Amino acid sequence: MNGDKESIFQKMWKREGLRAEIRAINALAIKQWKVEFSYPLSVLWFIVMPFLWFIPMLIAGNAVVGGSESAALGELVGTTDWLSYIAIGTAFTGLAMSMFWGTGMSFRREQSVGTLETLMTTPMKRSTIVWGSMMHNLQHGGLGVILQLVAAVLFFGVTINAWGILPALAIVALSILALQGIVFALTCIVLLAKQGWMIIEFISSALMLVAPMAYPIAILHPMLQYVSVASPLTWTVESFRGFLMYGFAAPGIMTAIVALLILDVIYVVVGILMFRYTERYVRRKGALSQF
Amino acid sequence: MTIADTIIEETPHAGSLYLDSFKPRLMDWTAARVFAAKNLKIAMRYPANFLIWGVLPLLWLAPYVLMMTALGGPGTSTSFTELSGFNDFVKFAIIGWFVYQYVDASIWSVGNNFRYEQFSGTLEPLFVTPVPRISILTGAALSDSIQTSISAIVLLISASFLFGVSYALTAIAPIIVLLLMMILALYGFGFMVAGMILVFKDPSVLTQFVDTALFTVSPVNYPLQALPTQARYVAYLVPSTIAIIVIRELAITGVFELGQFLSSATGLGITILFFWLVGIASFKYAERWTKNRGSMGGF
Repeated sequence: MNGDKESIFQKMWKREGLRAEIRAINALAIKQWKVEFSYPLSVLWFIVMPFLWFIPMLIAGNAVVGGSESAALGELVGTTDWLSYIAIGTAFTGLAMSMFWGTGMSFRREQSVGTLETLMTTPMKRSTIVWGSMMHNLQHGGLGVILQLVAAVLFFGVTINAWGILPALAIVALSILALQGIVFALTCIVLLAKQGWMIIEFISSALMLVAPMAYPIAILHPMLQYVSVASPLTWTVESFRGFLMYGFAAPGIMTAIVALLILDVIYVVVGILMFRYTERYVRRKGALSQF
Repeated sequence: MTIADTIIEETPHAGSLYLDSFKPRLMDWTAARVFAAKNLKIAMRYPANFLIWGVLPLLWLAPYVLMMTALGGPGTSTSFTELSGFNDFVKFAIIGWFVYQYVDASIWSVGNNFRYEQFSGTLEPLFVTPVPRISILTGAALSDSIQTSISAIVLLISASFLFGVSYALTAIAPIIVLLLMMILALYGFGFMVAGMILVFKDPSVLTQFVDTALFTVSPVNYPLQALPTQARYVAYLVPSTIAIIVIRELAITGVFELGQFLSSATGLGITILFFWLVGIASFKYAERWTKNRGSMGGF
């Protein structure tokens, strides 16, 4: 019996490499699903939330346009189909929010339930906790994107280019890297400020504001347009919508993909470095479990 | 004589003196005032919150304004003017958001008040005090109205400045009267939400759902005429609907009509009565339900 325990212990400490971390990421994602299924209403809400948020936008849009075609939007982006433009653009909202909030607050959540220190003493990399939470939120938010798009097609007559579905998924995969960089930065804020929800609310709302989800960035103030260009959400939404509306014929798609790739590298590298430094700093200060 | 002996000797006397003079009341205004002062003291410890809650809704309002501008052209659209009777949808939306801040507060702050006490570990001590629960909620609502007013004014000024709109101040007195009546009606609504949260515990989902549903049917960004017919009837069940419509008209046109004011004040009076009765009744029912199941402190 004692020998068995020792072997498990030794096995635990011998674990290393990418496969071990991926297993840990998967286990963390499954654990979070199990926790969430204890609150079924919460699961349902986070899936239907983006769709419910879309309805007031739809009513507001209909009030100003008064029909299915917007000449003003046509002049700005080349399409008068405002409903498809907004429905596909805002579909990404749920995934982004899920990433910002769910993953950004992962450390705080573990801290609140008293499992953070236990997790930190396991022989997995610290960043794996964040990647595990990201994996869960990707699945959760991704489900919301699919549901919103299906509902938009079924109930509002939005048309989606079938050839664009796979490339749009590839864009989501690309965007995850850059978003993860932002999430690492948000985790740093939570680790330092503890009650960082207000800062997360502020940053995520600001990123949503400058993202071309329901309007093109040309409508923004020139200063905000610069911020928008530096945000990975902008290029993600543009290319995601471009593929789903026009397939491979989407205008400006190559520029968007290249910009997204560049931002992926910048955001992930900066995010990981920030996280490493902050995590070490917080542990050195002994402030990991402080509220 | 030891300190312990002194306490033992004095406690029964002190306790009985207080309990002898205690009479159960429907509303204890002293308790409400003390509770409001306590909440305000906590709020004053975080002065940046007033500013943040004034600026943050700007980030939620701006996407609507920008989307409407992108779809309808800058500032105005024929369709919107035909529907609402107003030609500037930016002006229309900003005042709607200003009034809606109070609805948000009644759901998030008053409704969740006991949940926050539960998180702070003070819910059960609070519930064993010989004070009507409604007084505690009224106290929370009073302090919250002050905080919301500051944040809502910050929002109105900053949004007006950013989007370059202005409002008429000629009918400011009736606006204030109607706003106060709406706030009073929202207190009753907040009691109802507080009862629901006592029962269902997990407030994030319920609160967000109630908030999103109310926001959708409220004439904040669009007029009631933009809603499907059935949804318009539901909209009138929201305590703020009449106030948003009339306050908006007074603030944009600056024209005061006594007949319109009296009819809306009567409507709001009925709303106050309805929501206070329903709010208190549903809260009391929820409290009894929770106590019977022994789940008051449960998460």
